[in-house]
Amino acid sequence: MDPDTISRAFVDHYYSTFDTNRAALSTLYQDASMLTFEGEKIQGSQNIVNKLTSLPFQQCKHIITTVDCQPSGPAGGMLVFVSGTLQLPGEQHALKFSQMFHLMPTPQGSFYVFNDIFRLNYA
Amino acid sequence: MDPDTVAKAFVDHYYSTFDTNRATLATLYQDTSMLTFEGQKILGSANIVAKLTTLPFQQCKHMITTVDCQPSGPSGGMLVFVSGNLQISGEQHALKFSQMFHLMPTLSSFYVLNDIFRLNYA
Repeated sequence: MDPDTISRAFVDHYYSTFDTNRAALSTLYQDASMLTFEGEKIQGSQNIVNKLTSLPFQQCKHIITTVDCQPSGPAGGMLVFVSGTLQLPGEQHALKFSQMFHLMPTPQGSFYVFNDIFRLNYA
Repeated sequence: MDPDTVAKAFVDHYYSTFDTNRATLATLYQDTSMLTFEGQKILGSANIVAKLTTLPFQQCKHMITTVDCQPSGPSGGMLVFVSGNLQISGEQHALKFSQMFHLMPTLSSFYVLNDIFRLNYA
């Protein structure tokens, strides 16, 4: 599969998991994974999922506008750069966000998230 | 120097070079560097600088709002995630943008291996 197809499939899987079963995101991170969420730095799958499952909303929906990807170097990693909107129930206006993932291959032929940086794009 | 300081210094240098002497960005890319600019994929320093120096404006100013960085793995690379505004001379409203860089170490510095740029439309 070409990198664009892989990254698109990953993005679809990541955000549908986030929007329907946030705790299951733990399968996509490992102990070495890093998340920077609105400037807050978090390390390791458990801490990352704790952060994401304790965000101040029960439900949300990510709507993806752009997905760009590039290979990240000899280790076989892939950089994925996403922009979109985040709709929270009860909120009239969706929030704009940008997010980058650095995916690393697993021995089983899949990918996990090694680096994750999320920022809201305020008007 | 800690990574945040290195990232901030790189970002300052990159955008001040962009805003004052775009052609010298060539020193920050190599033949294997990749740029995706608003969805267009460009490979190699010469092609990247050709793209950036032919953008449809003479002058611009980047104003940086946020800089986040993380180490990218065993190769010693660094990921830098930037958001900010781009003021183009003669335009009434600044454009919002997000950009990510993957910096790889050289003997004394860093070069940009990966570069992805997107405008954030309202």
